[in-house]
Amino acid sequence: MSAAVEAYKLPPEPARSRGVWATAWRRLKSDRVGMVSLAVVAVFVLMILLSSAGLVARDWQKEVAVPDAPPTFMGPKAKQTGTDPLADAVSKDAKPVDLSDIDPLAPKYDEWKERAAKIQVSESPRAETLPFGADRLGRNVLDKAVKGAEISIFVGLFAAVLATIIGTILGALSGYVGGKVGDFLEWVYNVFTSIPDILLIFAFAAVLGRGIGTVILILGLVGWTGMYRLVRAEYIKHSNREYVKAAEAIGASHLARMFVHILPNVSHVVLVRMSLYVVGFIKAEVILSFLGLGVPVDQVSWGTMLSEAQAELVLGHWWQLAAATIFMATFVTAFSLFTDALRDALDPKLR
Amino acid sequence: MIPTLAGVILFVFFLFKFFGGDPAEILGGLLATPEQIQAIRQQLGLNDPWYVQLWIFVKSIFTFNWGNSWATGEAISNIFRTRLPATLTVMLPILILETVLAIVAAMAVAYVRGSLTDRAIMVITTIALSISFLVYIIVGQWLFGFYLGWFPVQGWSDSFWTNLTHYAVLPIILAVFVSLAPYTRLYRSFFLDEINQDYVRTARAKGVGENRVLFVHVLRNAMIPVLTNLALQLPGVFVGSFLIETFFSIPGLGREVLLAVNRSDYPVIQAMTVYLAVLTMIINLAADILYRAVDPRVVLK
Amino acid sequence: MSTLVSVQNLKVSFRLGKHRVVDAVRDISFDVPENGTLALVGESGSGKSVSAMSIVRLLPENAIVGADSRISFAGRDLRAASEDDLRKIRGKDISVIFQEPMTSLNPVFTVGWQIAEVLKLHTDLAGRALGDRVLELMNEVGIPEPKARIDAYPHELSGGQQQRVMIAMAIACEPKLLIADEPTTALDVTVQRQILELMARLRAKHRMSMLFISHDLGLVGEIADGVVVMRDGTVRESGPVDQIFASPRDAYTKALLACRPRLDVKPRRLPVIDDFMRNGGHAPQITVETRQARAQEPKPLVEAKGLRKEYRLKTGLLKRKTIEAVKDASFALYRGRTLGVVGESGSGKTTVGMMLMRLTQATAGQVLYDGTDLLALSDREMMAYRRRIQIIFQNPFASLNPRFTVGQILTEPMKIHGIGASDNDRFELAVALSKRVGLAEDSIHKYPHEFSGGQRQRIAIARCLSMKPDVLICDESVSALDVSVQATVLNLLLDLQDEFGMTYVFISHDLAVVKYMADDMLVMNQGAIVERGSADAIYADPQNEYTRKLMTAIPRGFAGRQVRT
Repeated sequence: MSAAVEAYKLPPEPARSRGVWATAWRRLKSDRVGMVSLAVVAVFVLMILLSSAGLVARDWQKEVAVPDAPPTFMGPKAKQTGTDPLADAVSKDAKPVDLSDIDPLAPKYDEWKERAAKIQVSESPRAETLPFGADRLGRNVLDKAVKGAEISIFVGLFAAVLATIIGTILGALSGYVGGKVGDFLEWVYNVFTSIPDILLIFAFAAVLGRGIGTVILILGLVGWTGMYRLVRAEYIKHSNREYVKAAEAIGASHLARMFVHILPNVSHVVLVRMSLYVVGFIKAEVILSFLGLGVPVDQVSWGTMLSEAQAELVLGHWWQLAAATIFMATFVTAFSLFTDALRDALDPKLR
Repeated sequence: MIPTLAGVILFVFFLFKFFGGDPAEILGGLLATPEQIQAIRQQLGLNDPWYVQLWIFVKSIFTFNWGNSWATGEAISNIFRTRLPATLTVMLPILILETVLAIVAAMAVAYVRGSLTDRAIMVITTIALSISFLVYIIVGQWLFGFYLGWFPVQGWSDSFWTNLTHYAVLPIILAVFVSLAPYTRLYRSFFLDEINQDYVRTARAKGVGENRVLFVHVLRNAMIPVLTNLALQLPGVFVGSFLIETFFSIPGLGREVLLAVNRSDYPVIQAMTVYLAVLTMIINLAADILYRAVDPRVVLK
Repeated sequence: MSTLVSVQNLKVSFRLGKHRVVDAVRDISFDVPENGTLALVGESGSGKSVSAMSIVRLLPENAIVGADSRISFAGRDLRAASEDDLRKIRGKDISVIFQEPMTSLNPVFTVGWQIAEVLKLHTDLAGRALGDRVLELMNEVGIPEPKARIDAYPHELSGGQQQRVMIAMAIACEPKLLIADEPTTALDVTVQRQILELMARLRAKHRMSMLFISHDLGLVGEIADGVVVMRDGTVRESGPVDQIFASPRDAYTKALLACRPRLDVKPRRLPVIDDFMRNGGHAPQITVETRQARAQEPKPLVEAKGLRKEYRLKTGLLKRKTIEAVKDASFALYRGRTLGVVGESGSGKTTVGMMLMRLTQATAGQVLYDGTDLLALSDREMMAYRRRIQIIFQNPFASLNPRFTVGQILTEPMKIHGIGASDNDRFELAVALSKRVGLAEDSIHKYPHEFSGGQRQRIAIARCLSMKPDVLICDESVSALDVSVQATVLNLLLDLQDEFGMTYVFISHDLAVVKYMADDMLVMNQGAIVERGSADAIYADPQNEYTRKLMTAIPRGFAGRQVRT
């Protein structure tokens, strides 16, 4: 105990028995910030589930608005007012010059006019404003932000799961078994970590190309090292704990000791680390998509929105930048705060 | 160190060999005829067995003879030589400034720990961290460069001094500003870990005031993980600047690597990867030695 | 004696989380005499440390001290003093030394620097004079070769030397009061003796007062002038030391004094606190008869021959150092009897126990169980023997998987060894086992963190019992428990031994406990067995030099003091 007092024994808990997760949930419920952020995260998850099912933001690619239409609260773009500088150059009374004699296409004009009249082109009128405005092609920024959320969060989540699985299994093996296996895995770890992360990502990207699945794979293959280190240290610590020796004494097998005994004691640490991964990988995916190394051209991500935003900003069109930033900041902040609350709820020191 | 280096070389070689596209086709371009491609293959030695190719690869690493970039034909060693100064001009000031400022900020926050200020700063940093670095650069560049005109939006010159005082200023300020949030949080956790240790209680029992406890006793111990962190960051400096260099058109190594990725310029990427790995190992070795000076419990192996 | 420190109506509570406030000290009062030693004695949770620390306001940030509490030091009201004033007092007029010297010293500064710091804070010494004073202090506390050690870092010193450094820092400015919070609990018995003697010498020489906090009544009896017995934040009894030991009035005090195993009598069962409290402060009947050991059979059940354990450490790129943890240990275990293994830290006693069970791989030697060498068996063959030798570890908080319910903990070995025909059967067995070891029936569904240390050891015992072992190794199994709880667990072990005829290997550094429990005994020092024989014989007349040193180091309470002085 590092405080100035000896360990103070709390009176035993009331009759209803609680395991770690139930206790943590109870503690989490009393953390207001944690619950609010959980709610925000839940809203986003619902949103991206709807989006992936095609119920929301399905037609984000359709050009439904005037290019660079401003957000609704700003009102439509002002029409071109003021005198046309070239107006004086052309006299208003001038008759259009008849060029039929020298124009080679002249005989065809009437035919084309007839044909054109026969073809129906349904063109719905383009919107002047949209809730979050439109991008330079007239696409709905709100839809793009939602779809982008789906992609970015999806990638972040799955890459986190992948990195967690790889890191946990390798870390458990390395920490528990030790010896030659541990040495080998440490060598693999050293090889991966001696190359700076971004460079490793670039190397993989150069070789594997673009695509959502590829990005997930790349991020998972580069990111597992952090979890490995953590899990390995935990397994080394726990392998020497007496409850594991006790399990050995009663005859439990190695596999049982690794995954039935130790893993449940490590899972809360893994969970918190995985949450940190989600945030980190979302941010990484955004940067990769921005650079053109992430999602393919026909998909949208917050990163691609930001790459368009750079040029737009110079022209004074700030809404796509704002939309992407607000969506991303809201989700990441909520998720980070939730992770903090989760860590506090699971902290065994408070038990 | 040597087994790791061997591992990195093998890794890079096999990654590009088995997962990368056919170098001959890439070099040949879209319009190359099959005969041209074959000729290139012959020239690159791609028809040799893989262990011969591996051996050539290893040789080229140790003789620093990397050949030329596939995209521009420039000698790769030349690329390194000319781009490195630009990267360092920007990244070293960033590294120094962000470390010093983060330590100061973290100590200040540790000093007011538990108070409302502490909580507020934690929330602000969380929000600040949730905004992508890209946004900061886009907005920063637009605001200070374009709109207010205080700094050049982009550019680089041949004079070191002009670069440092003129072109590098905005990128450095933006990068340091963005890194304040994460590093303050990290260093704050280092300080708080130390404050709860037994030896702090002993110091107080001796009559040491809170200021001295924080700035002498705790700081000295917290410097150990801070230095570890610095050592871990240093290798990333050489490439981590890629975003800044791209935005501000600074001809540095990071931007070079990014260009190479987009152009499938394998030799450049391979060379960077291997050399940075070597650099990382050297830095780690140096860090280990530095450790002994900082943490007396460490035994030099 | 006049009073140096007077504590009146002290109340301390802690705020835990947003809504909970826990009382640690509930309205106690005591006085520390001038030039004398007052001991605060109690078990964990009694509030003794909190009370002492509140004198110098060294409490954690979430502590709340009652408004009516009064603390006065040499006539000064410490409660009203400002933080600045208190800082001037700490280290100069009142010093503190703590339990864990290794973590209490700053690892990145030399010991010389740390001792000098307290002098720089409170005196005008500087330069050469400062250095000389530091050396002088190091000499006074008995650190060998002070000139060489002054630039040493804490981790380069032994536990005893670290504590001496702490003492040097504490007495540097000649304080009037020294607060010692369990200063020897983390040290070996022989080192403990040296440190206590040092502290007594220094106290007398500098005419300091000492406030000595401990859970060990035996220790307290030897050094204190006055004793305050605390339990659950209240004072049960206080008075001069001879009165407390010779004629205690409070039931708890009597129980505390009685339930430590004594060196002169060997009752059939140890008296426990509850017995005393229920009996109105009188010893229960059962403690009058003497315990009889089971007769030794002609052939031993287990024979260990030439057990050796070597560790090879890498000290350089190519150099290796060999550490011999156990050198050539040979001994025999007889059915139904208890073999005690006694030694200090580093003696190898734990390693011996672990080798018997193959939890540590022996470098050489045999363990003959009914003729079969256990160490030569394959893992699969060993499974059959696993259930016959079991072990109870020292740390009750670490030997049970925090994520398993008690039911899972108890039924797991049954599943592995095929005991019980179905899950239902096994659960019934588990319930029966937990009742047998004295736990409530609904324990099956609870998690380890819901139980106290003593209860967890019972769960550990029940887990072993589920396999009905022949041999039970108790590795420091009661060392981490409070004195009152120790007695209950030891009694349980004795009951079970009678009922099931188990053979015990009882490993401990606590000589009094080993003497009580063991029939035969081994004394180990630095990996070697230095003496063996019947427990009574060894205690009565130790042959080996080291054994003699161990025997004299045991604190014997007030009676021992009279013998010593």
